[in-house]
Amino acid sequence: MTIAVLFIMLFGCMLIGMPIAIALGLSSVTTILLFSNDSLASISLKLFEATSEHYTLLAIPFFILSSAFLSTGGVAKRLINFAVDTVGHIRGGLAMASVMACMLFAAVSGSSPATVAAIGTICIAGMVRSGYPQSFAAGVIANAGTLGILIPPSIVMLVYAAATEVSASRMFMAGFIPGLMMGLILMIAIYIVARVKGLPSQPFPGFRALAKSGVIALGGLMLIIIVLGSIYGGVASPTEAAAVAAVYGYFISVMGYRDIGPMKNIPWHKAGENMVSAAVRNGFHMLMAIPKSITDPEVRKVLLDASKVSMMLLFIIANAMLFAHVLTTERIPHTIAEQIMAWGLPAWGFLIVVNILLLIAGNFMEPSAILLIMAPILFPIAMQLGIDPIHLGIIMVVNMEIGMLTPPVGLNLFVTAGITGQNMIWVIKACLPWLCLLLGFLMLITYVPQISLFLPEYIDHLNGY
Amino acid sequence: MVRNLVTKLEEGFLSVLLVSMTLLVFAEVIARFGFNAGIHWAQEVTLLLAAWFVLFGASYGVKVGAHIGVDVFVKLLPQGTHRFITLIAVGLCLVYCGLFLYGSWIYISKMKMIGIEMEDLPVPKWMPMTILIIGFVLLIVRFLQLGWKVVTNQADGFHFADEAEESMEIAKELQETALGDDPQVSDLKDPSTNNKAPKQEDK
Repeated sequence: MTIAVLFIMLFGCMLIGMPIAIALGLSSVTTILLFSNDSLASISLKLFEATSEHYTLLAIPFFILSSAFLSTGGVAKRLINFAVDTVGHIRGGLAMASVMACMLFAAVSGSSPATVAAIGTICIAGMVRSGYPQSFAAGVIANAGTLGILIPPSIVMLVYAAATEVSASRMFMAGFIPGLMMGLILMIAIYIVARVKGLPSQPFPGFRALAKSGVIALGGLMLIIIVLGSIYGGVASPTEAAAVAAVYGYFISVMGYRDIGPMKNIPWHKAGENMVSAAVRNGFHMLMAIPKSITDPEVRKVLLDASKVSMMLLFIIANAMLFAHVLTTERIPHTIAEQIMAWGLPAWGFLIVVNILLLIAGNFMEPSAILLIMAPILFPIAMQLGIDPIHLGIIMVVNMEIGMLTPPVGLNLFVTAGITGQNMIWVIKACLPWLCLLLGFLMLITYVPQISLFLPEYIDHLNGY
Repeated sequence: MVRNLVTKLEEGFLSVLLVSMTLLVFAEVIARFGFNAGIHWAQEVTLLLAAWFVLFGASYGVKVGAHIGVDVFVKLLPQGTHRFITLIAVGLCLVYCGLFLYGSWIYISKMKMIGIEMEDLPVPKWMPMTILIIGFVLLIVRFLQLGWKVVTNQADGFHFADEAEESMEIAKELQETALGDDPQVSDLKDPSTNNKAPKQEDK
């Protein structure tokens, strides 16, 4: 009865188009009022605590802020140059470079659609000019763009950690190898296709050019190194690493790359200028840039965009915590788990059901919303069946990736259609062969837990646990 | 004029909250690694700022359409039905706000009567919690505005954030800067055109 009321309310509210946060909150409050003795005052306190007692959750706004600073076209161009110089000389190299650029940009920006938009705009046009079929280019980019939520630091993983109270650091460690693996699988597939179809390769630019573009790209990539280094090394919590990343993101985008903000169009080095005067001039401008940033419209827009997204996510999470509270006090996952045990469903069978459920949900909702609703339900069941919580998290994240490529709410499909100017049917067809690859990868991740668990366990071992 | 000012204030306040949270945590890290010291009140203040950020921002999010939801189904309905259903949804949102407003009021007035202080700050605990009341009152105002828009036929449903659309901004920015002497190709072939100096010829 309780289960029915809770879920009918929730899905009813979502179906009539209410914001997900409020649908979650309202259905939980109604269930609490109907079936338990908690007062409204204590529920309000719970909501306040949900927003003000979870220090790890603060990593979410900080990562969103740092990626807002670095999700610019200029950063995308630098990463693409670096990727083309690295792998462009292999056959089918431009497509491989796009995959590599997608992986790098995805790690910096943490957003799949933004990755497709930034890398795709340049790379699809570039590949078509070099003689690649447009559908091939579009399919590769749309798929590689989904890696954004698997390669750490990833917002979706933080949301999973928030919903299930597993350690966000361990999730970040677990996502690393699967992310690299998926990128490699894509590249190998591209190489095979390139061999068969005789796709072109780029000339090797020489080690000097490679080193130069590498150093330029390193400005942005340092962000990943700082974050992962401090988390893997155990010196900082994800929240602290994220705050440092946000401050670093500001400095590199405003003072290093100068794509946005008050120092736009100020060159590092003018023609015929000696090093000392260039250093003095740059130093002066950098000092001035800090107060100027306060009124700068571009910096303020970045801040506001980041505020909007993080507020929206944190508000959903706060309400989802009420929802999770109802689930636990009413022992709903336990009831379902006992039912499943009674049917004699084995762990692998349960994982198939999880995959199908998430793939369907992924067609209609955004990744973080799905995780916040499904994780508190699936997590206790998985625990009873002896499935590792980190492994379950990675499975869910890979499912969300696939959800980005399936209509009607596949964000990457919309963006790909937007940047290629083609219709949705064309884009879906272009993505389909690569989507099959992703589905195969999902099976691999689901049934070989070692892929996800190797790195976190190895690091635990190093730290002497 | 007034509406513009209110928007500016809301946006400014949200940005300031986000920046101060970030800088506080950053300062704590610097203090720990650089000076081997801690800021004992930092964590509590950061968390309170976060609560204010979220509860204050929720109403701003309704105004500018920053929340997310599932609107693929309601959009399939004829316009009249869609608006009617949206009115029901707005009504339910108001119920939600009302319940929480009532609950918060009771809780905060009790807290005020007892008068406990915060753990690290010499501030009575009920004061920072007033954001619950402020936030839900603002949320009610925004939902009433939305309901009025639907009644007067200015809107059909909730306006939700669309990440795909936002991402297209980057694409547009890149396409604009790419106009001219076809730098897309030159970017791909010759990395030296794209160093740290911004391209002047695009202007």
